[in-house]
Amino acid sequence: MISFTSFPSRFAESSYDSTRHHPNVKDDLMDLDEYEDFAAQGSLNKLTCPGESLTSSQAYMRGHGTYVDNEEVIASVAGTIERVNKLVSVRAIRSRYNPEVGDLVVGRITEVQPRRWKVDANSRQDAVLMLSSVNLPGGVQRRKLESDELQMRGFFEEGDLLVAEVQAFFSDGAMSLHTRSLKYGKLRNGQLVTVPPILVRRLKSHFLTLPCGVDLILGLNGYIWVSKHVKTNEQEGEEGFDAEAVYSNVNDDIDDSTRNAISRVTHIIRVLTSHFVPLTDVLLLEAYEWTVEHESTAKDLLQQEFGDALVASIAPSQ
Amino acid sequence: MASTSISKAERSYIQAGILANPPSRADGRSLYDFRNIALETGVAPLANGSARLSIGRNPHDGSGGTEVLAAAKLEVENIGDGGEGVEGGRISCTVSCSPAAYPHLSSNALDDLQYDMTTILNETLTHRVLHPPNLGILRGKKAWVLHLDAVVLYDEGNVYDAVFMAARAALWDTKVPRTRSVEYQAKRKGGATKGNAEKEGGSGDMDVDEEVVSGFDTRQIQTATDFELPDYWDEGEPLGGRENWPVCVTLNIVQPSHFLDATQTEEAATPLRVLLMLAFDTPYPTSVLGMRTLGNGELTAAQIAELLKAGEKYAREIWTSLNAKLKEETMNRLKERSKF
Amino acid sequence: MASRVEILNEGGYRSDGRRQFELRTIDIDLSQQGHADGAAVITHGLAHVMVSVFGPREAKMRSQTIHDRANINVEVAVAAFSTGDRRKRSRGDKRILEFAATIKSTFEPVIQTSLYPRSQIDIFVQVIQQDGGLLQACINGTTLALMNAGIPMLDFVCAVNGGVHSTSPLLDLTLLEENDVPNLTIAVMPKTRKVSLVTMETRLHVDRFEEIFRLATEAGLAIHGEMKGAILGRSKSLMGSIELGSQQRSGNTAADAMDDDD
Repeated sequence: MISFTSFPSRFAESSYDSTRHHPNVKDDLMDLDEYEDFAAQGSLNKLTCPGESLTSSQAYMRGHGTYVDNEEVIASVAGTIERVNKLVSVRAIRSRYNPEVGDLVVGRITEVQPRRWKVDANSRQDAVLMLSSVNLPGGVQRRKLESDELQMRGFFEEGDLLVAEVQAFFSDGAMSLHTRSLKYGKLRNGQLVTVPPILVRRLKSHFLTLPCGVDLILGLNGYIWVSKHVKTNEQEGEEGFDAEAVYSNVNDDIDDSTRNAISRVTHIIRVLTSHFVPLTDVLLLEAYEWTVEHESTAKDLLQQEFGDALVASIAPSQ
Repeated sequence: MASTSISKAERSYIQAGILANPPSRADGRSLYDFRNIALETGVAPLANGSARLSIGRNPHDGSGGTEVLAAAKLEVENIGDGGEGVEGGRISCTVSCSPAAYPHLSSNALDDLQYDMTTILNETLTHRVLHPPNLGILRGKKAWVLHLDAVVLYDEGNVYDAVFMAARAALWDTKVPRTRSVEYQAKRKGGATKGNAEKEGGSGDMDVDEEVVSGFDTRQIQTATDFELPDYWDEGEPLGGRENWPVCVTLNIVQPSHFLDATQTEEAATPLRVLLMLAFDTPYPTSVLGMRTLGNGELTAAQIAELLKAGEKYAREIWTSLNAKLKEETMNRLKERSKF
Repeated sequence: MASRVEILNEGGYRSDGRRQFELRTIDIDLSQQGHADGAAVITHGLAHVMVSVFGPREAKMRSQTIHDRANINVEVAVAAFSTGDRRKRSRGDKRILEFAATIKSTFEPVIQTSLYPRSQIDIFVQVIQQDGGLLQACINGTTLALMNAGIPMLDFVCAVNGGVHSTSPLLDLTLLEENDVPNLTIAVMPKTRKVSLVTMETRLHVDRFEEIFRLATEAGLAIHGEMKGAILGRSKSLMGSIELGSQQRSGNTAADAMDDDD
């Protein structure tokens, strides 16, 4: 099957009805006395862009996405103004992932170095996973040996995907990860979707299980792992640790219905994020039910109308 | 995808899906489905013909997808006297890749890649059986050179099919300006010292005026020395034999099965790819203009025959729908023009 | 180019029907392109440029890292069919390298590179069509793409070119005009009105310079208005979807959704 369409008109949205002035003439929209306004407005999402003066630096502290010049706090990114007490910051709408300690991320090994792995986690630099920060076979808390160093590719090799937690930062801002939990480690039995990091909201748990037999790991860095549901044996601790299984590269048998469910969930994520709708567990579940209700296959979701209809059902006023 | 290297588990997940019964792919397509293809011709007003093509563009936000821009430009070349021109004109094809298409490649690797693509496109399209008849201007003196430049703006898999489709669309869109040769005649029987040759470049063959006085007067043929464009505003006529430009179909092979239009992730999981360049009904029902394997797998001769047979079927489908789309584009542009 | 076209006719119109200080139509498309972190497509009249930004990200070559700030890498590619006469320029072409270096030095003081030590920011400029004002289109496109990628910058950088035809200054020159009159390109940062780039490759009488410089600065501010409108419009539509998506379900997100140091 092959079908051709035309490109949508590229500049269809640009408007030429607005009047243009000489730069000395201020448009009505511009706030001239922003200082007074600033204190009055609540935490409403007000938009700004670089070079815009936000407030006086004497009354407020500058946060991320701002800088101080001439006693003014000025925005340095395009996005929403956020204010917490006296701290003013601007949050960029689209940017790379800004890690925080404790965040759950999904990453991909890019390089194996002595006693450490480099991990791409959609951040400003590759993250570092130290050999001492992973669970080693034969007991969680044992000392690492020279033989472990020699067989690092036996644990993770280039291209491998893993789920980990942000442990700390190095002085240059690179993050260090750890996988010292049974929930973390190498990923199998599924596929990866990447979305803008802002669309992954902080949830109570980032490990979701949908009733269709699909597990989701929502990495805060915008990497999402969609896989077959695996029953977790609840036993924590050293007995539950099976190095063979944890570092295995071999997938389990996956039946057709699970495969279909995985591609369907992947598609729902793609459709929602292309409409820039943030992902939550409830939303994903609702969307999944909607597609089942409408007896759509994952293939149907490729069609634009279908995707639009899905989003419309989730967010009715859109 | 952040990078094209994928883990063993991902690779085997994709391969298992291809081989499953019924087969399943990451985006729910069947093995022989293409993603949506968007095509537009006449995108570069400074070129003689151009096209923009995108495979698998997200219809809502325009993200993702393989995007290629191709444009054909005609230039006049001198034949002989140090000129590079060739009797009857020539074609040269170049593919360049934007670094944005391969953000993880070093510039040397990028150069190698675009060199490979250039070779494949150039070797296929410059074959003499495809040569358009109307690229000559003055026999032995001047001829057109057609530069076809394809720019890969973004690569999300299946870039060869995209490049060939864009090239075919750009060549389809190409118009060759009509020329009229100008002749300086020696003073003869008290006639004018200078006269203009008359023959208007008609359909197909317009290279030389043949104002025949005597068939044995060899000087006559050589007298035309220059040419002019009779009508500056006229776009010219289509490139001759524009139906003949081939299409390419990439068969991605996961033994014993194969699939079409792989995404970048799927390509990373595919050990072997076979490119088939085919044209139809010109004048043979099917002609194979090129074939190439990419990757390090191996095939038996029997398999190649089978793949060729299957590829013929897919390529004909691409051929038919591409032709329909190109005709629709031509109609749309005629409509646009009649508005003015 | 010995053109017979009048640059400025007696009625005060230019060859394309514009007035002396009239700018060409600017179209800006900030939608997502491929996998770029930020992208912008900008046209000034017929000049058409596409800019993709990747980063800040891990440097491709370790030798390129700078220990206390991000390295900015600019690569410019000019489509062979972008000009009237086809011209294939390879990436190693001196002219292209110089052009890329100009863009890099324009943005180096504006991007807050010190926030991203040892990272790399890649700016890939693809010129699709040229009709004068190439540098201005590239700089304006780069500004927009960087902002679209969420990279912190002190201010917009708005570029415009101008020239002087006998004694009359002209703004936003087409290729035809660029070939005929002495011209310069300037890039201005609207907040402080600082100028971060002035280039001129032709000769201009020193008395004429000040006037065209002042006019071009003002034109830069007008272009700023367009660019700002596009950026805010894009932010607004994205935020609109985010809010719609999270409105009804705000109860489901964890209480700690506050990312004050993000």
